Amino acid sequence: MTQINITIEDIAVAEGTKIAKLVKFQGQLDESNVDEKAKLIYAIIEQNAANLFLLMDFEELEYMNSKSIGYLTDWYGKISEGNGKIVITKAKNNILDILEVVGLTQLISCYPTLDEAKFALLSK
Amino acid sequence: METKNGNQSKINPENKSIKITIILPTHAYFLSGIRDFTLNLIKNMTDFSEQWAYRFQSVVDELCNNAIEHGSDPGEEIIISFNTNPHESIEINVEDTGTAKIHLKASEINAIVEERRSTAYTNKGIRGRGLSKIVAEWSDELEFIDVPANGGIRVRVKKYLNDPKFKETLPSHDPTHLILN
Repeated sequence: MTQINITIEDIAVAEGTKIAKLVKFQGQLDESNVDEKAKLIYAIIEQNAANLFLLMDFEELEYMNSKSIGYLTDWYGKISEGNGKIVITKAKNNILDILEVVGLTQLISCYPTLDEAKFALLSK
Repeated sequence: METKNGNQSKINPENKSIKITIILPTHAYFLSGIRDFTLNLIKNMTDFSEQWAYRFQSVVDELCNNAIEHGSDPGEEIIISFNTNPHESIEINVEDTGTAKIHLKASEINAIVEERRSTAYTNKGIRGRGLSKIVAEWSDELEFIDVPANGGIRVRVKKYLNDPKFKETLPSHDPTHLILN
C-alpha cells in the first residue's frame, strides 16, 4: 500500500459554534489507500454534522488520484450542507494542477500559506 | 537540434523512437512504482516540461486504475507501453485482458467519456473523473480500441510537444470543468 499519513488537530476558534480542524496529509493518495483513509474524514464529518470547518494542509501531499478528488468533492458537499467550509493550503503545483483540471478550485479555495487559509476558513 | 536534456543524447544519440513496455499484475500496489517511472521517463527522456511530466504521471495512473478495475481480473495483468518520439510526442498505451466480470466495449467506454466531458453533465459522484477530465484534458489524442485476440481494451493516448493546445501554464478557467453539487 502506498504510504499516506493523515493527522488531525483542533484549531482554536473564538466563536463557540464553530468546530475547526487542521487536516495534514503526508504522502500519496491513490487507489491502494484512498478508500481506507477517506473514512477518517467521514468520521469527523459524522461527528460534527454542522458548522465544521476543515483546513486541508497539502504541503506534503505528493500525489492524489481522481477518486481522492471525488472524496474531496463529497466532503465539500456534506460540510457545505452543514454550513461549514473547506479550504486547502500549501498545495504543490502538481496537486493544484489536478484540482484545476477537474474544476475543484472553483468550489474549494486554495491558499499559499497557513495563515491566509485560516483567515479565509474562519471569516465566513 | 540541441537536446533539452543531456540524457537523451547519451541514451538515444540518433534520436530514434524509444518504446518501453511494462507488464504489471492486476493490483493497485504496483502503481506508485509506475507513477515514479513515468515521471522520471518524461523528465529525463523527453522535451516535455516538469509540469507535463507530472500530468502524464496522473494520466498513466488513471489509465492503469481503469484497466485494473474494469479490464483485467485479479491474478491477471495489464500492459503499459510508452513510445517516445524525441522532440515530437509521447504515446502511452494501456491494455487489459478483458477478463473483468463487467466488461465494456471500446465504443461504450468512448460514449461514457464523451458524455462526461459534455457541459451538460454534472458529476455528483466520487468516481468518473479520471478518464473524462484528467486523461482527456491532458492529451491530444484519446482512443479506445477493442483487442480482438482476448476481448480486452487498449487505450491509446498521445500528446504532441509542439501543438497549438500545448500550454505551460495551468489550464484556464473553463465552464466545462465546473462541478455543481
